[in-house]
Amino acid sequence: MTAHLTAAEQRTRPAGVAVSDLTVAFPAGGRELPAVSHVSLDLTPGKITGLVGESGSGKSTLALALMNAVPKPGLVTSGSVHIDGIGNVLSLTGSGLRRVRGPGIGYVFQASQNSLNPLKTVGKQLLDLGRSHGEKNLRGLLRRARELIEDMGLDAVRVLSSYQHELSGGMRQRVGIVFALLLNAQVLVLDEPTTALDMLSQASVLEIIKRVHRDLGLTTLVISHDLGVVGELADRTVVMYAGRVVEEGETQGILRDPRHPYTRGLLAAMPRITGDLELARALPGRPPDLLTIPRAGCVFRERCPLAMPVCADSEPPDTLSGGRRFACFAAAGSAGATSAGHAETEAAS
Amino acid sequence: MIVATGITRTFAGRGGRRSTPVHALRQVDLTIPDGGAVSFIGESGCGKTTLGRILCGLEGFDGGELTIDGQPVSRLRERQRAPLFRRIQMIHQDPYSALNPTRTIANILGDPLALRARQLGKPDDWIAGRRAELLGLVGLDPGYVLPRYPHMLSGGMRQRVVIARALTVDPEVLVADEAVSMIDVSLRLGILRLLRDLRSELGISLLFITHDVATARYVGQDGELYVIYRGAVVEHGSTDTVIQRPVHPYSQCLLSAIPVLRGIEEPGPDRLIPLAPLEERVEPPGCLFRPRCPFARDDCAGRQPPLGRLGGTEQEHACRYPQNREVVAVPAANA
Ligand SMILES: Nc1ncnc2c1ncn2[C@@H]1O[C@H](COP(=O)(O)OP(=O)(O)O)[C@@H](O)[C@H]1O
Ligand SMILES: Nc1ncnc2c1ncn2[C@@H]1O[C@H](COP(=O)(O)OP(=O)(O)O)[C@@H](O)[C@H]1O
Ligand code: SF4
Ligand SMILES: [Mg+2]
Ligand SMILES: [Mg+2]
Repeated sequence: MTAHLTAAEQRTRPAGVAVSDLTVAFPAGGRELPAVSHVSLDLTPGKITGLVGESGSGKSTLALALMNAVPKPGLVTSGSVHIDGIGNVLSLTGSGLRRVRGPGIGYVFQASQNSLNPLKTVGKQLLDLGRSHGEKNLRGLLRRARELIEDMGLDAVRVLSSYQHELSGGMRQRVGIVFALLLNAQVLVLDEPTTALDMLSQASVLEIIKRVHRDLGLTTLVISHDLGVVGELADRTVVMYAGRVVEEGETQGILRDPRHPYTRGLLAAMPRITGDLELARALPGRPPDLLTIPRAGCVFRERCPLAMPVCADSEPPDTLSGGRRFACFAAAGSAGATSAGHAETEAAS
Repeated sequence: MIVATGITRTFAGRGGRRSTPVHALRQVDLTIPDGGAVSFIGESGCGKTTLGRILCGLEGFDGGELTIDGQPVSRLRERQRAPLFRRIQMIHQDPYSALNPTRTIANILGDPLALRARQLGKPDDWIAGRRAELLGLVGLDPGYVLPRYPHMLSGGMRQRVVIARALTVDPEVLVADEAVSMIDVSLRLGILRLLRDLRSELGISLLFITHDVATARYVGQDGELYVIYRGAVVEHGSTDTVIQRPVHPYSQCLLSAIPVLRGIEEPGPDRLIPLAPLEERVEPPGCLFRPRCPFARDDCAGRQPPLGRLGGTEQEHACRYPQNREVVAVPAANA
């Protein structure tokens, strides 16, 4: 994608990520069932992309696949993940992968509040991370860590000498971001970065994400089950349901005029601080798991207020309309837009 | 009715002998009227759970008095307290650990109902009928959930089971402590609506504890809101007043922290953030919020401002310089 750039130029430009036809399956109920199914999507270089959907929709699995780190017994059964300057991550192994995880993609894991080693100080663990990547200049590494920590409004000396239990939830989350950025990652992935935090800590972590994203020229993916978090942060939003991307587009447009009934349902189900409370509507039913995802037709049809007979027969194809992509028969009918197969979608996005 | 006056609770610090004591609650006054909705908001560590536990009799207090339906708790014997506290039931934030994983939902509800049947002198066959009735009330299908174990249910369904179990003892008050914070946003509204319905249909009063002001608004728009900071009430009034016209800078920070749905909302023009993170170990002189307050002046370090209506405000507050600020998101012009 950026073959005409030299390696040095690439480092100064935000990296793009292109996911194409990605399928990841887990064994369940005696068969291989897809947690992520034929997903294509781009992370625009230099932008924040938000990935939103209920628990179990496949967000973490998709994000782990970006580093070729799908947990066993999961299996990538189709597709590719291209990162500028790295190539197809899914074909890498061993030392190639080590170059991706850390220096390429910085990853803040879901529940990373609890992922620090309780027996070692933060400083020791940062050094361990550097050593495991063969970093010789540990002094420089610590300097960078100190800068990042201070950048996040924390006292570096205190944080580096602290154990996990001495840090609040918000502080641990910030330390998680420091770990992710320590090796100069170009792509930052944050999985549910504020889910266990209170509103004030959430707000300050969101501010920090915005700031490091901008200051370090990153390409960022933020995952959340909360449309509010994505709405506050993301330039583009990807809505996932049952392993599929059901809607994708520019965030403000999606919030102003959601096309897919699932996106509409997510938005209507948010308790809001202004406006008429009686307009809020609970999303009916519950999110499916691998065993209960409908095998044929639209995966959302059992919870969908607009479902029609055709929705039970075939999967709705992607519709492209004004920079938006969605997969819904009813929305396509009212869109007057072009219906696109997968190939066209990729060409257009 | 529950009336708490001057409730104080201090814990010995957790960091050994050198550590400072934690003032979890400082002279909290609170009234929960029969059938009323009261919300208690603040960031984590501000004392919300401690208050909830005290109201449920799960935790003692060091100062002040708790009066339940006219009876001052501290003057009662243990034996007299139990039936009073039975009227107040707690819904925890974690529906995953609240239910015994080795028992079916049928047993989880059947056991307390068997006890209740004996108390009320009901025959054994009353139990199954009541169990089905309670499940209907919380929106669960008895045929589906009764034979299942907790891990087979979603977080939202589990929380409904927890609520049904609390209802087995016919409580008058439910204390919901972060009851939806571990549940997907998409499923929260269903639980919040249920709490609202229990109030309107059964007349159960509600103490709703949360760090998320929007959920407090949903369950208790017609009720009272208490904003608590480091164990002290800093603003208290009708929910609508405090949300729409907050005067304490801390309340304003909490309201500012609610994510703005850009495209359909715009940040309030006065949106603000605290100057610094909370330093629990430092006990500043004067107003406790001063080190984080963007509007602090020199004399804020003087005396701790008492809760009152300085400036002729509708609500009570504890700020020396109360001022209305537009911090809540507003609908976007082009939405
Ligand atoms: N290690 C695993 N083994 C089996 N199933 C898994 C595993 N990880 C995830 N899954 C299943 O894949 C689906 C998607 O999970 P996940 O990617 O964690 O979703 P999300 O992050 O959106 O909550 C779920 O149904 C989940 O149960
Ligand atoms: N049993 C205890 N021993 C020592 N400190 C405690 C205990 N329970 C709570 N605390 C402290 O009291 C303060 C208030 O806690 P809590 O009521 O849980 O707050 P919240 O529910 O608002 O997060 C915190 O600083 C907490 O660490
Ligand atoms: S395709 Fe049909 S079932 Fe699926 S979301 Fe659209 S209307 Fe609903
Ligand atoms: Mg996840
Ligand atoms: Mg609590």
